[in-house]
Amino acid sequence: MLEVTGFSAGYQGNDVVHEVAFHVDPGEAVMIIGSNGAGKTTLFRAMCGLLSPSSGQVLFEGDHITGLPAERIARLGMRFVSAERHLFPRMTVQENLLLGAYPGRPDPETMSVVLDLFPRLAERRRQHVGTMSGGEQQMLAVGRALMSKPRLLVLDEPSTGLAPLLAQATYEALGVLRQRGLTVLVAEQQVPLAMAFCDRGYVLENGFIRLEGTSEELAENPGIRSAYLGVGDGAMLDG
Amino acid sequence: MANILDGLVLGLQFGLLATGLTLVYGLGGVLNLAYGQMAVTSAMMVTLAMDAGVPALPAAGIGLLGGGLLGLFLDQTILRPVYRLHDEPRVLLSLLLTLGVSFIVDGFLIWRYPLKALTLHIAGGAVEILGVPMRRGSLVASAITLITFAGLFVFLQRTTLGRAVRSVIEDEEGARLVGIYPDRMLRLILVLSGVLAALVAITRSMVTPVNTTSGLSITVFALIVTVVGGLGSVAGALLAGMILGIVSVVAADFIGSYISLIILLVAAAVTILIRPAGLLGVKE
Amino acid sequence: MSGRLSSESGPSLIGGSGDLVEARSSRSLPVLLIPIGVVGAALALVPLWIGDSRVLMGVAVLGLAFACYAIGFNVIFGSTGQLFLCVGALAGIGGYGAAILADRVGLPITVSILVATLTATFTGGLLSFVAVRRSLGVIFTGIVTLIFTLSFDALLLGLSGLTGGDTGRLIDSGADTFLRDQIAPYYLMLALVLIFLLIHGLLQRSHIGWAFRALRDNEVAAELAGVDVARYRVYGALIGAAMLGLAGSTYAFTEGRLSPTTYGFGQVDVVVLVMLAFGGIGTLFGPIAGAVTFTIVDEILIEFGQLRQVAYGILIIVLFLRLPRGVIPTVASLWRRVRGRCLGFQVFR
Repeated sequence: MLEVTGFSAGYQGNDVVHEVAFHVDPGEAVMIIGSNGAGKTTLFRAMCGLLSPSSGQVLFEGDHITGLPAERIARLGMRFVSAERHLFPRMTVQENLLLGAYPGRPDPETMSVVLDLFPRLAERRRQHVGTMSGGEQQMLAVGRALMSKPRLLVLDEPSTGLAPLLAQATYEALGVLRQRGLTVLVAEQQVPLAMAFCDRGYVLENGFIRLEGTSEELAENPGIRSAYLGVGDGAMLDG
Repeated sequence: MANILDGLVLGLQFGLLATGLTLVYGLGGVLNLAYGQMAVTSAMMVTLAMDAGVPALPAAGIGLLGGGLLGLFLDQTILRPVYRLHDEPRVLLSLLLTLGVSFIVDGFLIWRYPLKALTLHIAGGAVEILGVPMRRGSLVASAITLITFAGLFVFLQRTTLGRAVRSVIEDEEGARLVGIYPDRMLRLILVLSGVLAALVAITRSMVTPVNTTSGLSITVFALIVTVVGGLGSVAGALLAGMILGIVSVVAADFIGSYISLIILLVAAAVTILIRPAGLLGVKE
Repeated sequence: MSGRLSSESGPSLIGGSGDLVEARSSRSLPVLLIPIGVVGAALALVPLWIGDSRVLMGVAVLGLAFACYAIGFNVIFGSTGQLFLCVGALAGIGGYGAAILADRVGLPITVSILVATLTATFTGGLLSFVAVRRSLGVIFTGIVTLIFTLSFDALLLGLSGLTGGDTGRLIDSGADTFLRDQIAPYYLMLALVLIFLLIHGLLQRSHIGWAFRALRDNEVAAELAGVDVARYRVYGALIGAAMLGLAGSTYAFTEGRLSPTTYGFGQVDVVVLVMLAFGGIGTLFGPIAGAVTFTIVDEILIEFGQLRQVAYGILIIVLFLRLPRGVIPTVASLWRRVRGRCLGFQVFR
């Protein structure tokens, strides 16, 4: 569904992400893990049109979307939930969700699916986003992305700033959606969470993809265990 | 009491005027210093049409259309290079380029039509409101302004497009992520601001003549109200407009018109220094 | 093109920091004095051509006044990046202040000029201090100073008893001195221009100048390097405002009459902006090039009356759009590239 090849991107002429390549097949849940500064956010922002890539190619469902602006990509069935969420602070939960369906007409059925998934949002329908907690905002960000019935959902560190229970709840909701056919690509620092949820993953380090494999394979890799799972004697990751 | 009512009439116009400027800045980060000239040019179109024999109402329609077209023209020409920039450099360049435009328009209009003014005469005697005789022109102007505000609120709050406009003001990146095109929204708002400028000029002419030299002062007043009300806030523009309208009339009556202007200017400066977001603007 | 560190968000309008001058900043004083001397000598010859026309000499004196204003604004905006849209108003504090002190209060002319200049200096410093304290960005600084200009204008009109309101006032003081002669005022203003150039040149070479360049290019980096951005901004404003006040007050006495249009936004600020945009913001001789060019251009355009405003509007657009670094620096760098290629090697900066 999503194929990224030879992808590089950065700021002011300095690349942060170098020749990255990965793919996501329909129905999969794929993770990109790495520590702070590895380049996950830069990768996703460039992929989803918020940043111009310096080289490489992105194919979504066979179409070239490399370098297209975010607003065009958002209309193609791929929705990005960025780490900063970018919700509309002085608008209500309801309004944020309605806008998620832009430019189409908001579908009442989709709305009720989203509200069932995140009952806290239903309670706060008329509340202004600025007054909500971090966890609730995260749920809203995901919910808003879902309003357009995307086929691929890309999330950048959805667990940031959330209490463990809430992070867990978010991933559970994503799990429900997976069963209904949603494909997910997620970047995470909190590796255990992502591993439990995803089928496959890539490890991003200093802008390079160092490792890839199924969740089980990665979970057994000693380098990953020490670097990201806090287990073992600190063996360096090679790849 | 008479002052308060006059102040309200003026205030409503201030508010509607500022709405055009504040939406363009809040949504697109563009400071349009040629705003007053847009209003004056539209007024001139109306008066020229009326000279040519067109009856008042269609002539006003021409003015509104002209205003919208001016907004579109700005978007398609002068502002193109501005769109390639972001944040502070964008505002700076837009400020300088529109300043240049304002000079071109002012210079041309004052040269070609030095004595021309738009005056719309509303027939009928004075009407008494709360014991104060008000001119019909003021009342009609205020009514039109209020209806326009109502229309704006409905548009922004209840329609999808209006919500999309607000979303770009709230968070441009968020809007892009849901598939909204910020530059299309900006184009829409620029056209709208042109129409609003024209509308204010037309309704103002029902109260007092609008002439070719008014351009700069219109821009200044719009800027003051925009700053006090909050960049990007329509409600702020209305609120600030009303307050400053009343202050302006009362001060002019009790102290003097120059001092009245200074008070408004100082109010804007104080707002910038104490609460740059304005009364109802977004706090960064 | 000079390999300087420039922040992405910094306006491209402030480009040339006087590359020609920067390269020589390590050299000695004579290298600064020579070009200034040449400019001074060239300008000193002007009365030889037009000395017998009172009108033209008046235009020339005004041109030099504008050169002073442009240098002052160059120090404030070009050196420290503060968009002060109150150039005319600060000069006006000098002009009107000195005139009122001399005529009404009866102070000697030199004292009046001194007091008025100090007032303008203080005002400029205050505006900068406030802007810096409240962390106003370029735009809000511009708006606040514009508000100041408009308030000053309203004040001039409102206090008509003192200022003569719309029609202005004549200045009696100094009417019988050399200040109203045909040629002498020209050399007086020329002296000011050269002194200002010297001050600016010395400033650029001093550690203050280094601090200015640092904070203009990248404020955050400058702070980290130990530059107290706030303090240097105020310094820049103080120096520039002093220049404006001094030039404004001196000019007032040579002119003999004042009106709001002598120091108005459209008459002074806009023109200075155009002059500097043409000559190169931040360069040492940019103000001179701009002032000379546009004094001549303005004289040529004078028959077009109101349409002059149209010309200025077009100029602003073209200059800030196409040549953000100024005509002179752009031409200079083009020339250097052509020359370098002709000589067969690249001139590196």
